[in-house]
Amino acid sequence: MVKVTYIAHDGSQTDIDADEGDTVMHAAVSQDVDGIVGECGGAMMCATCHCYVDAAWADRVGTRDRSEEDMLDGAASEVTERSRLSCQIKLTSDLDGLVVHLPEEQF
Amino acid sequence: MALAPLDDTITLAQLTTDPYPIYRRLRAQSPVLRVASAQRTFLTTAELTKQVKDAPDLFSSNDPNTPMKPAFRAHTLMRKDGEEHMRERKAMMPALTPKKINTDWGPLYQELAEEYVGRLPRGETVDLFTDLCGPLAARILANVLGIPEASDAEMQRWSQHLIDGAGNFGWKPEPFAISDKANDEMDALFAELREKRIAQPDGSAYSVMLTAEDPIPMSQIWANIKIAIGGGINEPRDALATILYGLLTNPDQLAQVRAQEAWGKAFEEGVRWVAPIQASSRLVTEDTELGGFEIPKGDTVMTIQASANRDESLYENGEDYIVFRDKNPHQAFGNGPHHCAGAHIARRTVGKIILPLLFDRFPDMRLPDPSQVLWRGFGFRGPINLPVTLN
Repeated sequence: MVKVTYIAHDGSQTDIDADEGDTVMHAAVSQDVDGIVGECGGAMMCATCHCYVDAAWADRVGTRDRSEEDMLDGAASEVTERSRLSCQIKLTSDLDGLVVHLPEEQF
Repeated sequence: MALAPLDDTITLAQLTTDPYPIYRRLRAQSPVLRVASAQRTFLTTAELTKQVKDAPDLFSSNDPNTPMKPAFRAHTLMRKDGEEHMRERKAMMPALTPKKINTDWGPLYQELAEEYVGRLPRGETVDLFTDLCGPLAARILANVLGIPEASDAEMQRWSQHLIDGAGNFGWKPEPFAISDKANDEMDALFAELREKRIAQPDGSAYSVMLTAEDPIPMSQIWANIKIAIGGGINEPRDALATILYGLLTNPDQLAQVRAQEAWGKAFEEGVRWVAPIQASSRLVTEDTELGGFEIPKGDTVMTIQASANRDESLYENGEDYIVFRDKNPHQAFGNGPHHCAGAHIARRTVGKIILPLLFDRFPDMRLPDPSQVLWRGFGFRGPINLPVTLN
């Protein structure tokens, strides 16, 4: 199990235990975490699973590729250097304790 | 393992008139059912429909023998998979993202909505389906696509003729003759506008595709625009009419929506309640299993989003329009790589612009006789009239 913390735009915090190999998007959707929609199911087609990786985790999460950049570019909320599509972050044991912040809106 | 049970009692006419009692029965008794009249295996629970949409390798969109091909004179991205689909879809996406819609285009949509709502006569009973929902959906789409030179009537006619051709599973010549004429007209307009959209890029879908660094072939650019015309008018039109019906027949909810400006929620609930696109087909690429039944390679399964959206395991009183639900994980826009490309535009235009504008202008708008409203459709569904008194 990998622990993930989602901090909503209003500051409320949700901690979940996710399976290794799951994505940050899918773990949130399957455990009813508000603020991640993930409507396309991880096909990088909807830009509704936008999150900001907490600064402390930036190095471990990896970088976004060109396709992710393209889709993120159209996200509803402000895109920063810490922005990721959470469907593209796969949970490994290295990410146990990961903290992500959620944008004000996804669409 | 056995094949799913075979039904030979359900008719297409029943599904077109009112499929919901049938779907309710199927969810309880036979969520995987081969329906002879539709020549498809119906999947009616949310779990099954999502499972299929999220596994595009196993459940392919690719159908080389679809009547869509002659109807659109192209093998379109709707019926492609993988990289090929992705490339054609991504070519158009920059015109359709939330950011583009909200920031760059918001003011234009607002202006168009004000113009069309402003034309409606106060104090009269008007069919909003024909006088607002259809024409405004057509006007907004024409702008998004970069073909505002097309009239509302042309856009709506082309859309319907493409749909009729694409649904011509009997392969009769007449519907293709009609869609051919629509294709001729569209091709002529696209050809005429091409240089202009290159010379003056405007962020519209046509312009974005034409001016891309590595553009897709012109035939596919045109096919993409046609897909958007065929699939981008009925849905916002029907969504708007459905939501208006839902709100006007539930005045308590309407009052609460107005007080909280919960138009976005009213929108989501409308498309959940009666999904404008009710069902989609997928071709099975390998022998597999769904819901305990054998699903052979070559079978065509039909995900019934309309039914998934009322699944008792997700929704209490799912047959009713109830805006203030705790959760509303509907599948009206589909899932997976073919997730509706127009979802953000629909949410923005219908949910955030048109609904508040209309109720602001006509605060005492009412539906004098809800029983006069007729609903139709199996693949696409919504009211086909909406006589509303505007005050």
